[in-house]
Amino acid sequence: MIYDLIIIGGGPAGITAGIYAARKKLKTLLITKEWGGQMIKATEIGNWPGTKMISGNDLIRQMSEHLKMFEMKIKEGKEVIDLDKKGENFIVRDNDQTYEAKTVIIASGKVPRALNIPGEEEFKGKGVSFCATCDAPMFKDKNVAVIGGGNAGFATAIDLLKYAKKIYILEFFPEMKGDLVTKEKLAKSGKVEFYTNVAIKKIKGTKFVESLTYEDRKTSKDQKIKIGGVFIAIGMMAKAEFAQKLVELNQMGEIVIDKDNYTKTPGLFAAGDISDIKYEQIVIACGEGAKAALAATEYLKNK
Amino acid sequence: MVRVFSTPTCPYCVALKGFLKEHNIEFEDIDVSKDETAQKEMIEKSGQYGVPVIDIDGEIIVGFNQDRIKQLLKI
Repeated sequence: MIYDLIIIGGGPAGITAGIYAARKKLKTLLITKEWGGQMIKATEIGNWPGTKMISGNDLIRQMSEHLKMFEMKIKEGKEVIDLDKKGENFIVRDNDQTYEAKTVIIASGKVPRALNIPGEEEFKGKGVSFCATCDAPMFKDKNVAVIGGGNAGFATAIDLLKYAKKIYILEFFPEMKGDLVTKEKLAKSGKVEFYTNVAIKKIKGTKFVESLTYEDRKTSKDQKIKIGGVFIAIGMMAKAEFAQKLVELNQMGEIVIDKDNYTKTPGLFAAGDISDIKYEQIVIACGEGAKAALAATEYLKNK
Repeated sequence: MVRVFSTPTCPYCVALKGFLKEHNIEFEDIDVSKDETAQKEMIEKSGQYGVPVIDIDGEIIVGFNQDRIKQLLKI
């Protein structure tokens, strides 16, 4: 079976591409690890035209239900690990099977950036978390560290405020980049300590996280703090290595595309946050997904 | 028996519970942000803090692992 189109990703870009492809009657397969990606962590979305306020979860459910209305093959819970060419066609491999298609749209979005330090992977779920919205209530009366002093880090600390005993916010750079209003709110709670100019070195524990070691970048001395949780909020990153044989990646690891979503390989398109477009918004990702599907349709017609 | 340990704000918990409802699977919905005893039980049984945790007839699954859940529930 050779598909007209394989879409990689089930966020707003991938789903919209799917809806457009289905309406163009392309024989399509959509492969996704999960629905929504970053969207599902958004508690309030107030800039989706036509809907005054909606949660990320509700919006993504509406989108995926809309997609499932069409006749289309969907593989959920699968991650694409390799993309290559075979003659004219593309070969897409997930952790389960291999598929062939005439065109591919990569819309796999971004994932939380990791620190890449000892203990981080080992204690994931055992005190190390990338989702305060999910896990904050589990840290009642505990001391916790938030890594990252930007708005994401501050939002994480706000989520934790209700539960944690003490919150250390640790920032690599000399200044916290998060909004001052939020910083003041956090400071007023009396629970939060702010450290700048620190590099996180390692996370230690036995069964669960017990401590974190950081380097004071001014004095180059290591310091250890006792904490029961580490929340990592240092931004998102593109994970497009699986496609690197066929695409150009920029410094951020994003896939370089032209204004019509073409990558450097004819027949291969990218859409949404995985691509090098500047603004990352749900409404923009949807538009980019639509553009990529239309470009793929046109490409198939002219082939 | 199916038990779901979750918090109200966790998006994967909402997704998991939606998935179970979609397949007409009855489950006990345990809010570990309110029920501290259940929270302790969940941490002990799963060896970790992350939600959701689903207990299917004593088998513990961490996270919304659709494949494994489908397999155990035979859906």
